[in-house]
Amino acid sequence: MDTKWNNTDKDPGEALEAFVAEEVREAMGTGGAAKLLRPGGRVKALAGFLAFFLGMTLVLSSLCAAGDRIVWERGPSPRWEWDWQETDAFRDEVSRYLREFLAIGAGGEVDSYGGLWAGYDNTYSIVQEEAVRGWLGFGSAAEAATAVDMGMVTLSEQDVPAKPEEKQEPDAAYQADKNVLYFIESAPETEAERKIYTNVENGRDFFLEAERLRYENVIDWSQVPQVQKEYNFFLTFRDGKVSIVHNGQDVDVYAGGIYTGDSQWFVPGYDNFPISEELEGVTVCMAVRQTPIRYFRTEQNGGVTSYNGFYHIAQQVDENWQFYRTQLWLFISGLLCLGLWGLLWKATGPANRKIASWTAHVWTEVRFLLVLGCAAWTFLPGLLGMDMIYEILYSSYGNGGYSFVDWGMAVLRLALVNFPGLIALYWLWWLLRNDHKYNPKEARRSLLRPFLGKLQALFRFLRARDLKRPVEKRLARNHAAGLAALGLLALAELANLYALIYQMFFSGLGLYLDGEILFIQIPLALLGIPLFAALLRAWKSRGLARDIAALADQVESVRAGDLERPLVLPEDADLRRTAERLNDIQAGMRAAVAEQTRSERMKVELVSNVSHDLKTPLTSILSYAELLRQEDLPPAAADYAKIIDQKAQRLKTMVEDVFEVSKAAADQLPVHLERLDLNKLLRQTLADMDGVIQASALTVKVELPETPVMITADGKRLYRVFQNLLDNALRYALEGSRVYLRLKTTESAAEASVRNTSRSELPEGVDFTARFVRGDASRTDGGSGLGLSIAKSFTEACGGEFRVETLADLFTAIVTFPVEETGERRLER
Amino acid sequence: MNECILIVDDDPEIVAAIAITLEREGYQVRRAYDGLQALDQCLDPAVKLILIDVMMPKLDGLSALLRIRERRNLPVIVLSAKSEDTDKILGLSMGADDYVTKPYNPQELVARVRSQLRRYTALGDVHTETRRGLIVNGRLSYDPAGRVLRADGDEVKLTPTETKIVDLLIRHPGQIFPAEEIYRRVWNEDAFSCENTVMVHIRRIREKIELNPKEPDYVKVVWGIGYKMEQHG
Repeated sequence: MDTKWNNTDKDPGEALEAFVAEEVREAMGTGGAAKLLRPGGRVKALAGFLAFFLGMTLVLSSLCAAGDRIVWERGPSPRWEWDWQETDAFRDEVSRYLREFLAIGAGGEVDSYGGLWAGYDNTYSIVQEEAVRGWLGFGSAAEAATAVDMGMVTLSEQDVPAKPEEKQEPDAAYQADKNVLYFIESAPETEAERKIYTNVENGRDFFLEAERLRYENVIDWSQVPQVQKEYNFFLTFRDGKVSIVHNGQDVDVYAGGIYTGDSQWFVPGYDNFPISEELEGVTVCMAVRQTPIRYFRTEQNGGVTSYNGFYHIAQQVDENWQFYRTQLWLFISGLLCLGLWGLLWKATGPANRKIASWTAHVWTEVRFLLVLGCAAWTFLPGLLGMDMIYEILYSSYGNGGYSFVDWGMAVLRLALVNFPGLIALYWLWWLLRNDHKYNPKEARRSLLRPFLGKLQALFRFLRARDLKRPVEKRLARNHAAGLAALGLLALAELANLYALIYQMFFSGLGLYLDGEILFIQIPLALLGIPLFAALLRAWKSRGLARDIAALADQVESVRAGDLERPLVLPEDADLRRTAERLNDIQAGMRAAVAEQTRSERMKVELVSNVSHDLKTPLTSILSYAELLRQEDLPPAAADYAKIIDQKAQRLKTMVEDVFEVSKAAADQLPVHLERLDLNKLLRQTLADMDGVIQASALTVKVELPETPVMITADGKRLYRVFQNLLDNALRYALEGSRVYLRLKTTESAAEASVRNTSRSELPEGVDFTARFVRGDASRTDGGSGLGLSIAKSFTEACGGEFRVETLADLFTAIVTFPVEETGERRLER
Repeated sequence: MNECILIVDDDPEIVAAIAITLEREGYQVRRAYDGLQALDQCLDPAVKLILIDVMMPKLDGLSALLRIRERRNLPVIVLSAKSEDTDKILGLSMGADDYVTKPYNPQELVARVRSQLRRYTALGDVHTETRRGLIVNGRLSYDPAGRVLRADGDEVKLTPTETKIVDLLIRHPGQIFPAEEIYRRVWNEDAFSCENTVMVHIRRIREKIELNPKEPDYVKVVWGIGYKMEQHG
């Protein structure tokens, strides 16, 4: 197993365990249980959250781990084969064996790297082996052929492991290693010199039999007794050609006949890969076990050595698939957990809230540092490690320049090199989001909060000051600033384009995608499109700013009451439709106002006509009642005539009052506003009504200031107001009680009040200023029921405020007017 | 006292009622029921005064008034149910000598009729009186030298204080005098809480000179400011 994964697998696991323990402690703890309504809800919330945490972590970590492996395996030899014997590493190993066997057969030195000698403990990984192979850098097939020809490969000192003794015969290890069966027959210069090396009993017969059966189309090797069925790969080198049978199938070794970089088998026999003279006549047969076994060998000095190249390859392929299978299972179980979370989704809220309540205590700065630290932990090793840079550059350089895919892959590798960091980042993000979701913004703690508050206040202040300026000025300024910035950017962009074009067409380099071009110049060039579009738009928006200003002005003037002049914008203006809508609204308002005026006028005319029509018969009634009274009538009839006269008089008052109240309600009461002294007006009213007051059984207590109280009102109307109020008080006050007339002034208002104790109980929740409302329901007294209504509408027509307050039997009518201080001073002078 | 009065109203009962009232006061009466009839009748030289309604069929009162003015110079009292200030001003500016709103008070109506007739028949014209040094204001004429106030030619009996107030107001028609000023000028004392005192006298003056003291034509209160003598033609 890969050690890297081994370690990282533990990290989230441990964290998870710790977290679960914490959660369970919290859930079972004495303090926690009472906080939730139902214990079941708490368990559900905990389970839901755990399922979410587990599921998310599993899914993410399995994806990252698999992705990491896939990304890092990407290279010259992707290990995507189920069969280890189909991998490049296997073919390389076979090719190396062949080289050594050929060397043995030719009687030369056994000097190939990673030799066949025992005592060399081969524990390096296949990745390293590939790297070394690449590092040797066989630039072309011819060089490679030469290298093999001479039976040796030159290595730089540090790359060659401790060089063992040269050997001409297979080591004892070969003899013992039954992963590879071999039979080597040297070139027969003389029959006596012919040498045979093999680790199979009667090796020649074994291989001959194997070959014969092959040629006789006996496909099923397992039926051959001599051939053990564990061996499924046979290679024969004879007469300078290699033939391979794998799983009973012939393998097309020399596909195309010419060795290229893409050729699978690095063995002699291609048209451009001949063998040297010494190898002519050498025969090599080898068989490879389907499932390699690991071999050990004790040395004389007591150490243990082993060389198990095939075993390692098979092991690694196996482990590879084992790894992917594990990740798949982890992914699926993660998905199941997420599904469980989905079921408990609604119940998980409390858990999230609980977590948010913990995280609320964390200072913003600490959060920032945590995220920063986690990001550094994740990405810095990849960025700083030279190996990584080397790897990335190496893996990309071979293609002659870096492609987008290379760079993308490099970034991905950098991110995945420490993917537990990525997962930790995800959880940090989740915690922050959770915190933002449940904790109010004000509750967030920060060491900088006071400072931030001041900064915000400053921004608000500046913004408020800015808002005071007219909108067209602000727009013009923003527009100029934006245009300037865009213009500068456009200049930079032009320079960049010039550089790019120069490099492409005039420097002779052609379009060579180096990092600078790829990551700076081309993106900049692409940015140019939206930039120039924005510049064009900004330029065009000058007109827009002008239209907005016109629109704002128009809104202002409509608000001020101009309903006649429509706003006409040019045909192609962006805001033309808006302006038209505004004009529609303006026209609608105009129509509504006209309609309202017309209906008000009609209302007043109606009231006026009704009043006239009522008064005409009333005139006759009153006239004849008067005439009747002058007749010499029997006493009873004289009384009747008197009553008719009285009631007709009252009817007359009511008709007049109704007329005035109706006019006031229709806002058609003509008022003649002038500056007057409210104080004096009250004194005059009292003097005017002195007779009535004296005649009543009531006392009027007056509290008036010494100085004039200047207001703007219609004196006649206001006199009617106070006359009505006093009249009302005299009419409804408890006999023998006191009526209070007060005038108080504050800095801005004059408040006159008439207060009396009601004779009858004041009903609650009655609007006394409504028409025909009286304190008592009898309606038999002399009033029209419109006194307070008239007082209210007249006060309001004069620009004052009228209200009534009742407290038990206490009735207070209050008239408030704004005070003009300047008027007071002028009068004093 | 046998002047003939033309009563014009489209409501016969009202015409009848007014006729009875006036006949009891000793006047002769003629009746008309629309503006055209009024035009016919007014040509009779016996007619000394016209009482005319505004809203009438065929020819309304104000139009009739204009035409009557073309033919005859005689006092016209408009009698209308329209009680707004604007209606009154309109009526007076069209040539009416007085404006009485319906429903009218019979006594007041009679008083106004009498007042108008006295001014047109018994008294000399305005210019002669002015030349004699009198201050003439509508029904009122005031002799500053003798400090005598006449209403419709009859001397009004005033107390010395009332006379001083009338003297002040009638010499400055239209001018508003605050109570304090009236007090200072009339009583020759510094004014303090004088509103009641002044008002009492004003009310008494009104009762003596006004036809309807509740709706005075001459001595008026300007609410919140003071008192004034209204200028009449």
